[in-house]
Amino acid sequence: MHIQPDIPDITASHVAPAIEVSGLRKTYPGGVEAVKGVDFSVTQGEAFGLLGPNGAGKSTTIGMLTTTIVPTGGTARVAGFDVATAALAARRVSSVVFQESVLDRGLTGRSNLQIHGRLWGVDNATARERISELVETIGLAEIVDRKVSSYSGGQRRRLEIARALVSQPRVLFLDEPTVGLDPRIRFELLEVIARLRDRADTTILLTTHYLDEAERLCDRVAIMHDGLIVALDTPAALLAALGREIVELRIDGPAEVALAALRSRAIAGDDAFIVGSTLTVPLHDHSSVDAISVIHGLRLPIAAMSTRQPTLDDVYLQLTGDSIAVAA
Amino acid sequence: MSNISALATLSKRRFALSAHTPREIIVPLLTPILFALVIAPALRDSFGGFHSTIDYLSFVALGTVGLLVPLSMMFAGLGVIVDRENGAQRELLAAPIPRRLLVLGNLGVALTVAGLQLAALFVAALLRGAEFHGGASGIAWFAGAVLLFSVGTYGMAETLASRVHSAEEYVGAVPAIAIVPWFFAGALFPISVMPGALAAIAKVFPLTHALALMRYGLVDPNGTGLHDIWNMSNTTLEAVLSLTVVAVFAALLTRVAVRAFTRSAVH
Repeated sequence: MHIQPDIPDITASHVAPAIEVSGLRKTYPGGVEAVKGVDFSVTQGEAFGLLGPNGAGKSTTIGMLTTTIVPTGGTARVAGFDVATAALAARRVSSVVFQESVLDRGLTGRSNLQIHGRLWGVDNATARERISELVETIGLAEIVDRKVSSYSGGQRRRLEIARALVSQPRVLFLDEPTVGLDPRIRFELLEVIARLRDRADTTILLTTHYLDEAERLCDRVAIMHDGLIVALDTPAALLAALGREIVELRIDGPAEVALAALRSRAIAGDDAFIVGSTLTVPLHDHSSVDAISVIHGLRLPIAAMSTRQPTLDDVYLQLTGDSIAVAA
Repeated sequence: MSNISALATLSKRRFALSAHTPREIIVPLLTPILFALVIAPALRDSFGGFHSTIDYLSFVALGTVGLLVPLSMMFAGLGVIVDRENGAQRELLAAPIPRRLLVLGNLGVALTVAGLQLAALFVAALLRGAEFHGGASGIAWFAGAVLLFSVGTYGMAETLASRVHSAEEYVGAVPAIAIVPWFFAGALFPISVMPGALAAIAKVFPLTHALALMRYGLVDPNGTGLHDIWNMSNTTLEAVLSLTVVAVFAALLTRVAVRAFTRSAVH
């Protein structure tokens, strides 16, 4: 069962939301329901994450917000502009970094940046100035006049981020910005995005299936599963809901029996969950030492047992019964 | 940003991507130019031509325009697939500009490149001995026909590029679209020498009308090719009708191309 969560009313402030989405849905020809009606709102200057595995509906949601995918229901506004009825205005105030590399490889990096500036209506002098600053900031100054075909994957991704910033968008969409990059380049890019997040004038909507990215970069996170938002809150609040610690048990035998036993001793609550032979028990009222002591006393057929801090993956597992890492 | 400024940016981009090496301009030119330089003179010298008032070399030189333009436009259409598969098409779709400008920007560059190729073809044909005559009105008939035919053919190329899934599929369709009509359209001989059924088919192709107009403007003031199509006594009226056919072809295919592009690019 999918539950559309109560979404915190962040629009209560007097600042107009940078992104407002209401009942947004997309059904592709052939009947595939990629997004089944989502609602969320992002305040100006906020970094907002859509977290979920491939196929959860994140990229389709970004596609609708950037007007490259036509919604089949609901409404969405970017900086107050309806993406269906004021698409040009919505595009004028936003930029997007796509999941796949979307660059003119036969042109130089600088040409790619200049074209973005011209199409977004930035005058030549301003564009020149911004491009100089951006390529310095993002570490592309030495190669910006080379053809993009000679760039590495990380350099291309940095160029795409720089390109999106030439027009100084009010809303920046980043669709899986680090997917497919090696760990060092990914780390560097996360640094760049973290610096962007600190700019109060730019609202960021980021999709990712990397939990650490969401925790590190996002003020709030919406977890998507099967076209729906199943949880929406700050990373800290989502984690806090699972208690301070988690006991993870690998059971030799029916895990349901072990779970019933733990519930009867008030160790496991309603939020304990089973995936395969693994039983995950969030601890709210007990310390891990107490819990382990009780578990030993129950003489359950345990193959392995460990304790750890909760992660967003646990939040996702608890909500959907499916691991983001596995599903991705 | 004004649409003109956006169009200029898109055209500049397309030109930098598609026509930045001589090879991309020269390759589509090779076959037509060889027709004009090698085959046409050889046929004329072997068979002596067929019209007393029209030089066969000049006749075929204009006929090769009917091969050059479709080849050039189909080559240009490949750029749309490259943009989609490996280029910045999605970035352009996210830009604050009307999406029809993406098609029109590509069209502008395709026309410019074809214009350069036509100029090279004419220079080569003149050097080989072709003769073109016709005043301002003749040049206008020629230019109108070649421009509208080019626009319509680019519309076909862009539509095909939007509909197919890969460059291989696109290249496979090029002969059928770019070359087959050329065999019917009276490029190397008048359509009147073909059997009646084939001549009737020929009259359906916009290329037949475009070639008759081009020749009417530059080598055939009597409008023999136009008479073969319309069989009327008023040559100017025949020319207007043929130009209308080519204009409708251009307008219709441009509209279809914009629609096909938008539908394929935005889901």
